[in-house]
Amino acid sequence: MVTQEQNHSKSNPVIRFFSSVRLAIFLLITLAITSIIGTVLPQQEPLQFYERYGPNIFKIIKALHLYDTYHSWWYVTLLVLFAINLVVCTFKRLPTTLRLYKRDNLDISLDKLKHMRIFKQVVLPKNVSYEQIISEFKEVAGGNISEKPLENGKLVLSEKGKWSYWGLYILHGSILVIFAGALVGILLGFKGSVSLLEGEATNHCIQEVTGKPIPLGFTIKCNKFTLSYYRNGTPKDYRSDLSIIDHGKVVIHKILRVNHPITYKGITIYQASYQAIPRITIKIVASDGQQKILQVPAFERITWPQEHVALGIMRYLPSVHGVPAAQLWWADDSGQPPVAIWLLQGEQRELRRSNNIYQLSLINVTESYMTGLEVKKDPGVWLVWIGCGLLLAGFLIVFWASHRRIWLWIGEENGKKIAIMAGTANKNKLRFERDFETISEKLSYFSGGEK
Amino acid sequence: MNIDSSHILSITTFVYMAAAILYISYWVFKAKRLGIVATTVTIIGFLMQTFALGYRWYESYKLGYGHAPLSNLYESLVFFAWVTIAVYLVIEWRTKSRIIGAFATPFATFAIAYASFNPSVDSQIEPLVPALQSNWLLAHVITCFLGYASFAVACGLAIMYLIKSKSPNPEEGVTGALPSLKMLDDLMHQTIIFGFLWLSVGIITGSIWANRAWGSYWSWDPKETWSLITWFIYATALHARFVKGWRGKRIAILSIIGFCSVIFTYFGVNYLLAGLHSYAAPQ
Ligand code: HEM
Repeated sequence: MVTQEQNHSKSNPVIRFFSSVRLAIFLLITLAITSIIGTVLPQQEPLQFYERYGPNIFKIIKALHLYDTYHSWWYVTLLVLFAINLVVCTFKRLPTTLRLYKRDNLDISLDKLKHMRIFKQVVLPKNVSYEQIISEFKEVAGGNISEKPLENGKLVLSEKGKWSYWGLYILHGSILVIFAGALVGILLGFKGSVSLLEGEATNHCIQEVTGKPIPLGFTIKCNKFTLSYYRNGTPKDYRSDLSIIDHGKVVIHKILRVNHPITYKGITIYQASYQAIPRITIKIVASDGQQKILQVPAFERITWPQEHVALGIMRYLPSVHGVPAAQLWWADDSGQPPVAIWLLQGEQRELRRSNNIYQLSLINVTESYMTGLEVKKDPGVWLVWIGCGLLLAGFLIVFWASHRRIWLWIGEENGKKIAIMAGTANKNKLRFERDFETISEKLSYFSGGEK
Repeated sequence: MNIDSSHILSITTFVYMAAAILYISYWVFKAKRLGIVATTVTIIGFLMQTFALGYRWYESYKLGYGHAPLSNLYESLVFFAWVTIAVYLVIEWRTKSRIIGAFATPFATFAIAYASFNPSVDSQIEPLVPALQSNWLLAHVITCFLGYASFAVACGLAIMYLIKSKSPNPEEGVTGALPSLKMLDDLMHQTIIFGFLWLSVGIITGSIWANRAWGSYWSWDPKETWSLITWFIYATALHARFVKGWRGKRIAILSIIGFCSVIFTYFGVNYLLAGLHSYAAPQ
């Protein structure tokens, strides 16, 4: 890190600014603080909504786009700065990392080896051959082996985990990959919704933000919708029996459930909501002796021509005190304005109009369902998942994978045959110490050696 | 009376409370034996709680719901206490220092006591509405809480650090019994790394779940955003090590702020702000 700070001072000030960890910290803190706004202030409401905060705050909200904080120009700017910071900092570090990666670790003096914290020295019997010890070391220590002559002897190096220097690049790069994935989704994707009655089909969805229809390129048909409940009445499962039809052929026939979306041609369909659609049967007895049984489907105007009555369903509740209830609108030729009346199944209601008195009863209800689907195309999502995977992999490498080096020198000193083993690791030093111990235990001439 | 898991968990609360008091007494009176008792009591509480959690899982099968005990506020608080104790016990075992217990067990005690005795927290086993029936959600809750528990311990370490560094003679008396500043700093850093990893996994599994449940991996809902805020704070703490001057004390303060953010992510968002995550609300 020290060497890096020194590098900094020599370079161009713009690059120095954009590559600094200080900027990263500033941006992280600023993002943390400003992100709070959108969690406190309701987001994406119509502008008038924000007038309740008073004219001054309203002006601020409007100017800074606080009604949609996370898509506002300044928040996006912070994110872009963050990305630039990452890119510049990464490139700036590249030479340092390359130097570390390419460094010749055999280029070391005997003296330096002897001063390492993890170090062992033994006197070898006269008759033992270098080759025997070296081949044993290679086998036990493993990793990448290199060797060269050094100061009346021979130096062998076993290296492991040199690649771990790239962990930080994987980690920081992963954030950029996630950004890229999000960008692809924003630019090339869409999100819409579809409502289908049982038996209905459609080949387009309604875009969420604009309300415009978007063609899907295939047809979705809802064959049936079913609901199930737990014993205590909590909903347990929503199922839409869907057919996906492409060029007149059913290509998928599947049950769509919450948490189990269906994907076809890059478009994913989610079970989002449902609505119970009633069809009620009512009996009307008029005071003039006429009576009639009428079938009233939802969303329709039903007439009883002899009595000049028209009616329809305004609202419907599947269960009020355990029985279904429907609110009807009612119009007739009495000259009075239309009225609304609630009917509970099994209870007769009286409706008094100036020319007639009607006895109304709700005899029967049959429900059908309208399923609410969400339709989404996001060609960037796989990039986001790759980025997430890289983030975790990078994190594990940065903190747990270490570059470890173990040197073995064999040579003559003061007329004795001597072997020295020394090592370092850039992370996880405690574990390395144990590994070093294990390796030296396994080497026949080191196991009894002095520290 | 029929004994069910929530009764065992209420009893566990008292066991943890006793453990916290024992650890604090051990710290203040420097009595070695109290420390050993504190550890024993904590382990007993932990085993009781582990049993209770397993039993609760079994109970949910008996009710016909069949889900892991991680589905509502009550269960997640209890799980938080369980993980905090587990993380602490690992640290105690690895550092052989019991004093940290005086600063870690109170967090667990508080969480489980709040779950057990606050009347607004319902301890009933509830069935899962369709949106919550997902293994990704299970992974999300487990990993987030591993993160939160580590941050709780890191916050305890930060408080110890600040107490010790503020004291005029840190090597004497009550503050003298605390581990060295260097050790506290190292442990704090390691716990933050551990927590940050799990929080990252938690945010990612949460996005995967959201993407499967309603087709959007990120929708800036308050809970998501607050978990991101928490993530930013700890990312700051990790990077701060590389800027000169940001050592011990400032990291300790960040660690405390970070944990406040964790608490807000958890309670503040549920009680003060609205969003997708209001548990148990029908979707
Ligand atoms: C939110 C996004 C980011 C995450 C999750 C992240 C994560 C990390 C982590 C975990 C480390 C390792 C810390 C350690 O070894 O203790 C690290 C190191 C580092 N980060 Fe980031 N980082 C992010 C953004 C940035 C940005 C924007 C910069 C731009 C300057 C940056 C610069 C650095 C540097 C220079 C180091 C390395 C220090 C060293 O080992 O010498 N990071 N980052």
